[in-house]
Amino acid sequence: MINVENLQKSFGDVNALRGVTFTAPDGQITGLLGPNGAGKTTPLRIVYAVLRPDRGRATVDGRDSTTATHAVQQRIGVLPESDSQGLYPRLTARENVRYYGRLHGLEGVGLEHRIDELIEMLDMWEIADRRTEGFSHGERLKVAIARALVHGPQNVLLDEPTTGLDVMSTRSMRDVICGLRDEGKAVLFSSHVMQEVSALCDRIVVIAQGRIVASGTPDDLRRKTGHADLEDAFVAVIGSGRGLR
Amino acid sequence: MRVEPIGVIFKKEVLDNLRDRRTLAGSLFYPLLGPLLMILLFSVMGQTLSTKAEEPLALPVLGAEQGPALMQFLEQSGAEIEPAPDDPEASVRAGEYDVVLIIPEGYEEDFRAGRPATVRLVVDPSRQAASVPADRARDLLASYSRQIGSLRLLARGVDPAITEAVIIERVDVSTSQSRTASLLNIVPYFVVFSIFVGAMYLIIDTTAGERERGSLEPLLINPVARSELVLGKLLAALPFAIFALLETLLGFFITLKVSPIEFVDVQLTLPFSALIVVFLVALPMTLLASALQMIIATFTHSFKEAQNYLGVLPLVPALPGLLMVFAPVKPKLWMMLIPTFGQQLLMNQAMRGEALAPLDVIVSAAVTLIAGLVLVFVAIKLYERERVLFG
Repeated sequence: MINVENLQKSFGDVNALRGVTFTAPDGQITGLLGPNGAGKTTPLRIVYAVLRPDRGRATVDGRDSTTATHAVQQRIGVLPESDSQGLYPRLTARENVRYYGRLHGLEGVGLEHRIDELIEMLDMWEIADRRTEGFSHGERLKVAIARALVHGPQNVLLDEPTTGLDVMSTRSMRDVICGLRDEGKAVLFSSHVMQEVSALCDRIVVIAQGRIVASGTPDDLRRKTGHADLEDAFVAVIGSGRGLR
Repeated sequence: MRVEPIGVIFKKEVLDNLRDRRTLAGSLFYPLLGPLLMILLFSVMGQTLSTKAEEPLALPVLGAEQGPALMQFLEQSGAEIEPAPDDPEASVRAGEYDVVLIIPEGYEEDFRAGRPATVRLVVDPSRQAASVPADRARDLLASYSRQIGSLRLLARGVDPAITEAVIIERVDVSTSQSRTASLLNIVPYFVVFSIFVGAMYLIIDTTAGERERGSLEPLLINPVARSELVLGKLLAALPFAIFALLETLLGFFITLKVSPIEFVDVQLTLPFSALIVVFLVALPMTLLASALQMIIATFTHSFKEAQNYLGVLPLVPALPGLLMVFAPVKPKLWMMLIPTFGQQLLMNQAMRGEALAPLDVIVSAAVTLIAGLVLVFVAIKLYERERVLFG
C-alpha cells in the first residue's frame, strides 16, 4: 500500500505540489489523472525516493521514503516516464533485467529462474538474448517492465506507461496491469488519457495545479459532478477551459 | 557501504563499455599517440641530420675556373663540385639548391697578391634542412682560409699558433642517458594524457551518457547507496586508465628499442627498470584523473557536451610537462605537492637514470591520492543531490 500525506514540493519559484494526499491500496489499480504539467510525476518521484518532499510524507507498506529509502525501494517496482525506457543498448534484454536483479541482491539460479518467468509472462523469448539497441517502443517497454518487476515488488508504480504505444501494445500493457492487481499488488499509475483511466482503474485521483481536486471510484466521480460522461466529469473537476490555450 | 552492489555496478560498466566502439577506440588508439609522434619525430630529425652529414657535399660553384687551388681543396675534402644554376640567389631561395658558392672576378688577383680574397656563399638560413650543407660548405671554406693563412705565416717565419690567443676546450659532462632524456621529456606529457584519455569515454558514458539515454532515473530507484553507485562507476574507469598508461609506456619502450636511428652518436635507450619506476610513479594519478573527469561530466547534459570539456582537460595538467621540454627544472620538495606536476618531474628523473628521493616519491603519491579521494567524496556528494537527476 502506498500512502502520501500532504506532499508539498517546489522547484525554485514553481510550486509543483501544494499539499497532495492519496492512497493506493493493495489489490486495486489507482489512477493518477491530470493534464500535462499538473504534478503527476513529482509525487511518484517522492514515493520512489529520488526527490525529497519539502513537507509531508510518503510511505510504502508503512515505511517512510525519506528515512527508510532502501526498504521502500525494495518494495516497489517502477516504470519511470521515459520515451526510451532507459535501457542499456549494448546489453541484451536479459542482461538489462539481470543487472537490476543483482542490484536488488538477487543472484544465481533463483534470479535466472525469475528472469525466465518474466520473459514467459511478457512473451519476450524472441528478443530476450538480443541487444536492446534498435528495439521497437513496445519491445523496450516489455524489457523495462520485466526489469521493474524482477524483485517481485508488492507495489508497482507506472508513470504514463502507455504513451506512444500502438493498440496491440496498449492492450497487452493493460493485461499486465490487471494481472498485477489480481495478484493482490498495489498498482499506481499516472496518465493524462481519460479513457484509459476509466477502463482500468478501481480508484481515480484527479490532480490539477499541484492539488488533488477529486478522488474516488469512477462512479463516485460521476455522482459528485453530476455528469454521466466521465470526460465531462473530468473537465468539471479540473475547471473548464484549461486545455490548450 | 556494501561491497556487493559496487561489484555489480563495476562488472556491468566494464562489460558494457568493452562492447562500445568509442570506448575501445579511445582506450586503444589515443595512448599510442605519443609513441607514434616520437617515431615521426625521430624519422624526420634522423633523416635531415644524419643523411645530410654522411653524403658527399654537392656544391654548385659559379666561377670555378677562378680558383683551381680552392676547387682542388674542396674536392679532396669530400665535396662534389657541380655547375651552378644561372641565377644562384633565386634558385636557393626557391629551395632548388641548399647552397651555392660564387667565386667573383678578381678573386685570383687578390689571392695572389696576399689580400683577403672574397668568395660568396648563397644560403637560406630559414630552411632547416639546408642548414647542414650550408654549415659544411662554410666550415670547408674556413679551414681552407686557415690553412693558407698558416702557410703564409710559416713562409714569413712566424709560428701560426700565435694567432690563437685562446683555445676553447669543451668538457662534456652529460652521460649518454641524460643526453637521451632531453628527448624523452615528451614521455611524461603523454603519460598524463593517456591516463586521462584512456577512461574518458567510459566516464562520459556512465555519467552524462547515463542521464542522456534516460537510464539514470531507473537506476537511482534501486536500493543502492549513491556512494556505492559512484564507487562502482569510478572503479570501472580505473582499469581503462591503467591499461592506457601501460600501453603508452610499452609503446615508448618498443619505439626506442627498435628505432634503428643513431641520434647524434647516442643510441636512445629507456631501460625496462626505469619504465617500471615511471609506471609506479604515475599510478596514483589514475584515481585523481578519473574522479576529476567524473565530476565534470556529471555537470554536463549530454555526451557531446561532456566530450567538449573533457577533451581539453588533459592539456591542463600536461602543460607543465610540455614546458619542461624547453626549460627543464630541478625537482624540489614543494613541487611534489602539486598533483601531476610532481609525477612529471619524477618520471623525468627516472628516465634520466637518476635515483629518486624517497621523500619526493612518498609526498607526491600521498598528496595525489588524498586529492583523488577528496574528489571521490565530492562526486558522491554530487550524486546525493536531487539535482543529479536533471543535470
